[in-house]
Amino acid sequence: MNRRYVLRRLLQVLPAVASILIVTFAVVQAAPGDPVVAVAGESGNEEYYAFMREKFGLDRPVVEQFWTYATNVLRGDMGVSFVQGQEVVSLILERVPATLLLMGSALLVSTVGGVALGALAARRPFGPFDLGLSTGALIGYALPSFWLAQLAMLTIAFRTGWFPIQGMTDARADYSGLAHYLDIARHLVLPSLVLAASEVALITRIARTGILAEMDSDYVRVAQAKGLSSTGALVHHALRNALLPVVTVVGTRIGFLFSGAVLVETVFGWPGLGRLVLSAAQTRDHPLLLGMVLVVAFSLVLSNLLTDLLYARVDPRIRYR
Amino acid sequence: MKKRLIVAALALSLVASACGGDDDDNNAAPDAQSGPTTTAAPVRGGTIVVAISSDPGSLNPAVTSNGGVHTASEMMFNGLVGWGADGKPTPELAESWTIEGNGTAYNFKLRPGVKWHDGRDFTSDDVKFSFERALLRLHSRTQASLGSAQVALETPNPTTVIFRFPNPYAPLLQQLNVTEAPIIPKHIYEGCTDLATVAGCPANKTPVGTGPFKLESYTVQEIKMVRNPTYFRAGQPYLDGMTQRVIPDPGTQLLALENREIDWVGSVPGPDIERVKANRALGTATSPRGSGGGNCTTTMIFNMKPPEGRTPFFADLRTRQAVWHAINREQAFRTVSFGQGKVSAAPINSGITFATATGLNLPTFDANRSKTLLDQAGWKDEGGGARTARGVANVPDGTRFEIDWHGFAGDQTTYGEQIRSQLTAVGITLQVKTEDNATFSRNVFAQRQFDTGVASYCNGDDPEIGFRRQVDSRQISTTAFSNGAGYSNPDVDRLLDTASREPDPAKRTPIYRQLQEQLVRDLPYVWLTESAGLRAFNASCTGFNHENTGLFAEAASCKK
Repeated sequence: MNRRYVLRRLLQVLPAVASILIVTFAVVQAAPGDPVVAVAGESGNEEYYAFMREKFGLDRPVVEQFWTYATNVLRGDMGVSFVQGQEVVSLILERVPATLLLMGSALLVSTVGGVALGALAARRPFGPFDLGLSTGALIGYALPSFWLAQLAMLTIAFRTGWFPIQGMTDARADYSGLAHYLDIARHLVLPSLVLAASEVALITRIARTGILAEMDSDYVRVAQAKGLSSTGALVHHALRNALLPVVTVVGTRIGFLFSGAVLVETVFGWPGLGRLVLSAAQTRDHPLLLGMVLVVAFSLVLSNLLTDLLYARVDPRIRYR
Repeated sequence: MKKRLIVAALALSLVASACGGDDDDNNAAPDAQSGPTTTAAPVRGGTIVVAISSDPGSLNPAVTSNGGVHTASEMMFNGLVGWGADGKPTPELAESWTIEGNGTAYNFKLRPGVKWHDGRDFTSDDVKFSFERALLRLHSRTQASLGSAQVALETPNPTTVIFRFPNPYAPLLQQLNVTEAPIIPKHIYEGCTDLATVAGCPANKTPVGTGPFKLESYTVQEIKMVRNPTYFRAGQPYLDGMTQRVIPDPGTQLLALENREIDWVGSVPGPDIERVKANRALGTATSPRGSGGGNCTTTMIFNMKPPEGRTPFFADLRTRQAVWHAINREQAFRTVSFGQGKVSAAPINSGITFATATGLNLPTFDANRSKTLLDQAGWKDEGGGARTARGVANVPDGTRFEIDWHGFAGDQTTYGEQIRSQLTAVGITLQVKTEDNATFSRNVFAQRQFDTGVASYCNGDDPEIGFRRQVDSRQISTTAFSNGAGYSNPDVDRLLDTASREPDPAKRTPIYRQLQEQLVRDLPYVWLTESAGLRAFNASCTGFNHENTGLFAEAASCKK
């Protein structure tokens, strides 16, 4: 792997994140509603508002506010939440594991499931299985996740009683050790499936198309002519090349997955970052909101870089300079 | 079966009275409770799981009136005086009290032997500290009411607190419960009550109180509390623990209850009410109280005092009367509230029994009368939708009667849709704007850039707590949920002052009647609906006090 390339890409992260920060800061400033009023709750008075404005530095000119914020961030200080009075960093870190678990398992399910389904569909293009899967994928891609979530609760969870509806752990039991992890796994099933649904649909379609194209190429025909079964040709030769577009898509879908997680976490009461974003937006908690945007933007840029590097791994012909 | 229920009910009532009578009759209305809810003798042990809508971030109720913080923390604290279903004060941290000097001084004798969760003694110093350093400065409702009454606290000895007022102050006893005035320990929160330090105070996350439950752990997902074995009400609480689970979505809360993952939901969404009531595994109870306060009235606000450059649609009484006559409040109520609560019959909520007036002459639904009034005010129907101004005072000719409606998402927006269609029939075009709290507070209260809005004014248990702010001309301010109409009438201000200085509730009644008659003549608001929430809970749990929001599970128990 080319070290200079990685370094250059990492340096590009800075201007990207900086411009995202400027835009977000402007958007947050332009949003109607005064954070001080939101913090004060149902009532409060001018004196209190004025004090809070001064305390949070909201009485300063916007440019100055931005400069203060930006220099603090460079020093690793993301500020203190207006509402919770806690360090933004610790608020975010507290919730990162839950979201990573949810997004990670959704990503795993959708990638592995999508490629497998795509391969199955490609075995007999335009056969009944392929047509059924394509229709299903279209529907799965179109369904909004919050609706699918409620449907999953009402049907799967409620009827079978196998899976809990909310939370990450059982509210009554106090498990430890292996039982604790099994408990989390049981709670994880529905939210991660719901979150994965639209991704599975997308990846199935892309994998199917990619595999069909590869199966039609000369090198696969040669392999088959040499006596390899069509499954063998698929697994040993075509799949690796067909994965290129899948890798690209998975890498760029991290952002969509996160926005999906905001909804899924809210509906399932999953204690992750998504819920924090929602409440930060509702209460106009500027430092928290900006901090979240920063974290998400940073991980997006990073995941794009990883995608590119993975690309070279899958296809040795690709070289970065 | 019936016999067993009666015996069980008897046993419960005996226990309730033995424990200081705080668990008064829950059934204010005969149909207020259904299902097998108050029919079992208390069982010791077990944990109850309660749904809350948000992670409150802090568990210190003395420094905020935020509903989320209060819902999550009140079980760990107490007020000096609680309240019963009949609106009568009941002893809590104060054992007894005397009122002196016609209501200028209240002398409280504190309950002896009360311990904080950390084992230290509770004393009058804590009360003084709670009021002077926290409640009167940081709890917005208490700051507004007791603060402006210029209360001063004296603590002659560790078990006595005296509240002194420059003028007689009537409603004090209604403002001392755990929602309006929770008492916090001085030795824990001493460094945390400056405006600058209060938000980040570590003790906000590790609360120490006197309440029936104490904190075990607080995570992003839930707040776990365990029984306080030294609680001052002997034997209580019956439960070993209480877990508050953060579930933001109300639909999910209910499904989790039906799926037996949790035991208690504070508010059932309207469309689900029938289903919940039909479920025999669930008990339900109607309560006029919620985390935002009690006795709330959904109220339409006329902007009588718009800023420069904005059309004063409602400066003329006749246009306000016209809107009243155009609105069918009964129909809107049936459509929006699913039978929860009732149509308002007076400006002051009927939950404040001594103050609310009956038989008031509120305008009734009469579209023709509405049209006539609009014509008289100069708003002419020239065809093509909204009426046009022809000679309306301070309104340029040709202005259309097109107004906006600001409210929160949910019921308030649905009310807007109902009223929009009703107003269209008389030639007023209404545009419904759905806003979150921050945007609403800015448009309606801070900048007054609105024509009409809707807010839930929680009256509390005395007009001084949550009603006064709505009509007092000195409370026309940028403060959220104050006098949104911009209504100003010196007679009303005078009556409010007189009533607040009269310590005898019986003598306050006629004053409030006179006040409400004046309001009905002026109509600064449309008092739409007195809201009530439907609680739903695991039917094997009993003994909830639905009137005492903060300590609702003090005497609760669940069958194993």
